[in-house]
Amino acid sequence: MTNEAVILTQALTKSYGHAEAVRGLSLSVGRNRITAFLGRNGAGKSTTIKMLLGMIRPTAGSGTVLGKQIANTGENREVRQRVAYVAEDKPLYGYMTVEQTIRFFSSFYPDWRRDVERKLLHDYELPLQRKVKMLSKGMRTKLALLLAFARRPDLLILDEPSEGLDPVGIEYLLQVLVALSADGVSIFFSSHQIAEVERVADHVCILEKGRLLVDASLDQLRQFYRRIDLVFPFSPPEGEFRISGVERIQTSGHQMSVFASRNAEAVIERARDLNVVSVEIAPVGLRDIFLETVKEN
Amino acid sequence: MFFKLTPTTGQPLYLQLMQQIRHGAETGALHDGDQLPGIRTLAEELVVSPNTVAKAYSELEHEGLLELRQGSGAFVCVKRRTRSLADQVQVARHRIRDLIERLREDGLLDEEIRRAFEAELLYPAEIVTRR
Amino acid sequence: MLWYKAWLETRSRFLTCLATLTLFSGIFVHHAQGLIRPEWKSDFNRLLFVNQQFLVIMWVLSVVLLGMGGIVREKAIGTSSVTLALPVSRARLLRVRFGMGALEAIVLGVVPWLAVFVVASFARKPILITQVASYVLLLVAGGLVYFAMAVLVSSLVSGEYTAPALAFGIVLLAAMLFDAWLRQFNLWRLVTGDFSIDRSTYLLSEHLPWMGILSSLSVAVLMLLASTIVVQRREF
Repeated sequence: MTNEAVILTQALTKSYGHAEAVRGLSLSVGRNRITAFLGRNGAGKSTTIKMLLGMIRPTAGSGTVLGKQIANTGENREVRQRVAYVAEDKPLYGYMTVEQTIRFFSSFYPDWRRDVERKLLHDYELPLQRKVKMLSKGMRTKLALLLAFARRPDLLILDEPSEGLDPVGIEYLLQVLVALSADGVSIFFSSHQIAEVERVADHVCILEKGRLLVDASLDQLRQFYRRIDLVFPFSPPEGEFRISGVERIQTSGHQMSVFASRNAEAVIERARDLNVVSVEIAPVGLRDIFLETVKEN
Repeated sequence: MFFKLTPTTGQPLYLQLMQQIRHGAETGALHDGDQLPGIRTLAEELVVSPNTVAKAYSELEHEGLLELRQGSGAFVCVKRRTRSLADQVQVARHRIRDLIERLREDGLLDEEIRRAFEAELLYPAEIVTRR
Repeated sequence: MLWYKAWLETRSRFLTCLATLTLFSGIFVHHAQGLIRPEWKSDFNRLLFVNQQFLVIMWVLSVVLLGMGGIVREKAIGTSSVTLALPVSRARLLRVRFGMGALEAIVLGVVPWLAVFVVASFARKPILITQVASYVLLLVAGGLVYFAMAVLVSSLVSGEYTAPALAFGIVLLAAMLFDAWLRQFNLWRLVTGDFSIDRSTYLLSEHLPWMGILSSLSVAVLMLLASTIVVQRREF
């Protein structure tokens, strides 16, 4: 599995007057991986995606998608031939029927897969002759997803793909994403559904206030992030525990809770040197990693 | 064979899958020559990234438990080494059973016993020997 | 399939205007006998001239409406992210929108006059095809710049009602200002045939104001270029 980046940015910045929506973002999204992009609302996820697709121009920094410069309009246009994008809110042309919509979009992509189109039309039960503005939200979401899935892009970018889907729909969506990934499509999606991300993502990027705070494989996060709960015979000195890897310390009486992104063993050793009474280590789920990471900032 | 991967424990999914496949080979649920589903099929079934399945299969191939044949899939090879490993696991389980009985006699609840095991397991091996 | 999209977007507006203009012209010429006053020397020809006056108003209103839309409006509606994610340049999107609208504008000029020709011929009125052709040419070639202006306005302003209101306002303002200070350059008078009409026969002169028409078309092209630059610079 080659590890070239399908998306690579260097100090990408976007400011609107004095407000910086994206600050010095250096992102690297690997080929043939499923990468999740997490962040609070307004953290800069959509702005970043729009810069990658040439809809917004960066204020500073640079980036490439599939090796082509995002700031070069000609190159960016070529790249869009091989990138599928589903925006938040799954926008579609209300005045077109389902059939017209499919005909319109498929005309731009020679790699369109009629067999996948037919299968998804059948599975999603979309009425061909109905106008998009008459479809329910769930059906519109499915149609928007169909338009991306029936292609053979090198990169699929999705902004909150499960929004508007019921749990069955979400399960189906994840299965399709996994199938596409197995076919060689690199996937980059932003989501608020931490549970979904934990199941299918290979890699996680957490964005907060325009800056990249976490950029790691999910395996690494699972292996190294730990919460360590310690009880001492006295009030524990927080200063002793400011070791590298420790992100947050909370003390209450004789108890101390340490949130570490790595180096849990060093924390335990230090605790034992200080005659700790009880040590409890627990893994940290992605939701807590996310909440702790954005809280600190 | 049924696999169940839990994203919320502190263990990478590929390791969980590897363990469950090994467990299957040890307990006899998987026999020598059995075919495991292809990477794509298993990934879709478990709804996990194909990279997870691929990594698990690849590591098990290194260990000698699986044989990956181009185009046909992954086949289980239960060698003598694995069988003796299965025996070791049987012995270990007897020891653990005895320990759990003794802890229960001491008055510990099952939940407390489980948490104690989990906490100790999260200590990397080096710290344990240093003790 | 960008042309197909442009057609779907403008179809209702176009067909409604086409029906209105054609029906108006046909009925007007057919029933307006009563308007013909004894003191009009060239009664029928004057009727045709009056028809053009009405037609110009309706045609300019129609093409301004046809010029609305585009990706700036799509941003307000929310579909610009779909359109801009397509592997086509913004310049091409604009060209297709402009091309579709221009074709529709031409049809909107030709068909009503064709209806007049047919109706008048059946009623055995003295209608000359050359006169009809001249009216159409003045209207469409001279007036295309109004469409171009509407396209430029819709590339700058995204409001559903503010854009057309602004465009109509510009048409009105231009007509008034030019009439006040630069009457010989007033496009409205060129398009209605006011500069080319012989007041005794009410026939359009053979010597049409080619310079005026060419200048108008050039300005239309410049406005298309300006729209392209505006849309390319804009952030979505």
